[in-house]
Amino acid sequence: MEFGPIWRAARRNKTGPVLIAVQIALTLAVVVNAVFIIQQRIEKITRDNGMDVDNILSVNSAVIGQDFKAELGVREDLRALRTIPGVIAVSASQHVPLSGSGWGTEFAASPESGAPRVNGVQYMMTTDAIQTLGVELVAGREFAEEDMVYAENFSDPQPSLIITQAYADELFPDGDALGQPLYDGLGRPSTIIGIVRRMHGAWVGWDKLSHVALLPRVMPSNSTHYLIRTEPGLVNQTLAQVEAALFGVNDQRVLQELRPMTETKDRSYQGDRGMAVLLGVVTLLMVSVTGVGIIGLASFAVRQRFKQIGTRRAVGARRRDILRYFLLENWMITTAGVVLGTLAALGINYWLMTAYDLERLDPLLLPVGILVIWALGLLAVAGPARRAAGISPAIATRTI
Amino acid sequence: MLEMHSVSKVYRTDTVETHALRDFSLQVEEGEFVAVTGPSGSGKTTFLNIAGLLEELSDGAYHLDGEEIGSLGDDARSRIRNEKIGFIFQSFNLIPDLDVFDNVDVPLRYRGFNAAERSRRIDESLERVGLTSRRRHLPSQLSGGQQQRVAIARALAGAPRFLLADEPTGNLDSEMAEAVLGLLNEINAAGTTIVMVTHDPDLARRVPRNVHVLDGRLQAPAQPEAPPIGAPNGLGAAAMSL
Ligand SMILES: Nc1ncnc2c1ncn2[C@@H]1O[C@H](COP(=O)(O)OP(=O)(O)O)[C@@H](O)[C@H]1O
Ligand SMILES: [Mg+2]
Repeated sequence: MEFGPIWRAARRNKTGPVLIAVQIALTLAVVVNAVFIIQQRIEKITRDNGMDVDNILSVNSAVIGQDFKAELGVREDLRALRTIPGVIAVSASQHVPLSGSGWGTEFAASPESGAPRVNGVQYMMTTDAIQTLGVELVAGREFAEEDMVYAENFSDPQPSLIITQAYADELFPDGDALGQPLYDGLGRPSTIIGIVRRMHGAWVGWDKLSHVALLPRVMPSNSTHYLIRTEPGLVNQTLAQVEAALFGVNDQRVLQELRPMTETKDRSYQGDRGMAVLLGVVTLLMVSVTGVGIIGLASFAVRQRFKQIGTRRAVGARRRDILRYFLLENWMITTAGVVLGTLAALGINYWLMTAYDLERLDPLLLPVGILVIWALGLLAVAGPARRAAGISPAIATRTI
Repeated sequence: MLEMHSVSKVYRTDTVETHALRDFSLQVEEGEFVAVTGPSGSGKTTFLNIAGLLEELSDGAYHLDGEEIGSLGDDARSRIRNEKIGFIFQSFNLIPDLDVFDNVDVPLRYRGFNAAERSRRIDESLERVGLTSRRRHLPSQLSGGQQQRVAIARALAGAPRFLLADEPTGNLDSEMAEAVLGLLNEINAAGTTIVMVTHDPDLARRVPRNVHVLDGRLQAPAQPEAPPIGAPNGLGAAAMSL
């Protein structure tokens, strides 16, 4: 192999190779970190939220008029919604999970004023909450009709609730949450009657997203959401029948935000998706620009060395020797870039870790990135190198 | 050694057809030094390119060292160029980014010699052209005459049977040209067959055998009889004075 002469020749003519090596280094460094962030965002968007999001839809109903009785109104609405074909379960709820709005709460495992309080979000729902959300009950029981609190006042006590496993683990590290009382901000107890494996709350960027409490409760309000779970694939069909069902009960109301829960989720993750797409575009651009740069440098080198290549052929180089020369030269430049880029990638990752709390780079990404850059270099130089190999040895005597 | 029989070469483009060589027959014996003369455009370089396997002929037969060339593939032709033929070009054709040592090394690497063998041969041929002290110079740091001597060293390093030179003194002043010719005479005296193309009749006169090309055809010999093969002619010493 001609490492020695190629290296010595490159040192005498280094501007182009150095620029390309630096470009390759930058590309590797940025792309590896960008792909890592994309990976994390995708993981975030696709992580298990515990619910049957695909088959749930939600609507907000606000009844107009002073004499509305929440208990009666909600019961009638739920009954009407249940009659829509394909509906599995329905529940009222103040807020829609994953929507970005919710009722933040703090519970403590002990009534003492100094007891640590753990943040979470609470959803006030009706008896079929577990069924409607499609969450998995891992301990205790679902809501029964006797559990329901149709509150006259916002501050009426709440005897029972269901919480998520994550919330339970945080409040009762010993694992004995079921049957224990939780204490709200006013020190009033609510007994944990059930625990669900997993459910996400309101704010997808919050680190307490998995701290959720479900309360069997209807608030004295004209406005509520209804969550409707359908048989698989029937969300859109059901969606079209919700208005008629609810207006059939009472047409003195405003229906808003009628939409599949997938849409609600998508809206909440829009920022994450946007970031992933943006970084994806940046990655694609950088890789293309670098590829084009390598093609450009190699094409220029071939044109510049036209006579030299003819001379090499004249003194005995076979076509494949010329091909190998350019591939090797390119590989050396790429590898210099890859070495530099590896250091830069780790540097950028370290900076992101300290400044933006990002995690340590996936250890597989860097080697994969290096392989991709090598492949990119090879692909980019293939055309010019083949052109070089096609140069006739007669060029040696035919050019001045 | 070199045997061309009724060789022709036609260059075709979309619009023109150039008959660069027509019915060209020539025989060069082992150890000869032949000057091919002729006006510009007469087909000298074309002949040299075919003789040196740089181009393929359109018609006719060509044997080099007993081997029929016409049927050979590209790799085989490359190997023959590498092992049997040394080239000297009008504009030296050194690789500008490589120093003298690495330039002479180029054909040896394609030959597949190991590093020690290459180094020995490079030193030997640089010594032969008197440039041992310039081994780490770049071509741009050398005079034209010195550059041509590096090119000769490159041609000699592989110990070829056959040296082909296309206007080797065309880019040199007369003193340097003299020295290069002297060097070629020395090489020929040591047994290497040389065919040199030149448009300069004065230079050609100092070469044992002359053939003349006109309009792609070989003319009758200008000189009736060539001097004995490998005859010393007193120019060898000039090489060292470059
Ligand atoms: N690649 C080519 N394509 C077309 N015509 C060519 C080519 N090379 C040489 N010729 C033509 O062939 C003829 C002989 O050229 P050449 O052998 O270079 O002559 P010389 O070396 O004697 O000056 C010229 O007319 C030249 O224009
Ligand atoms: Mg010529």
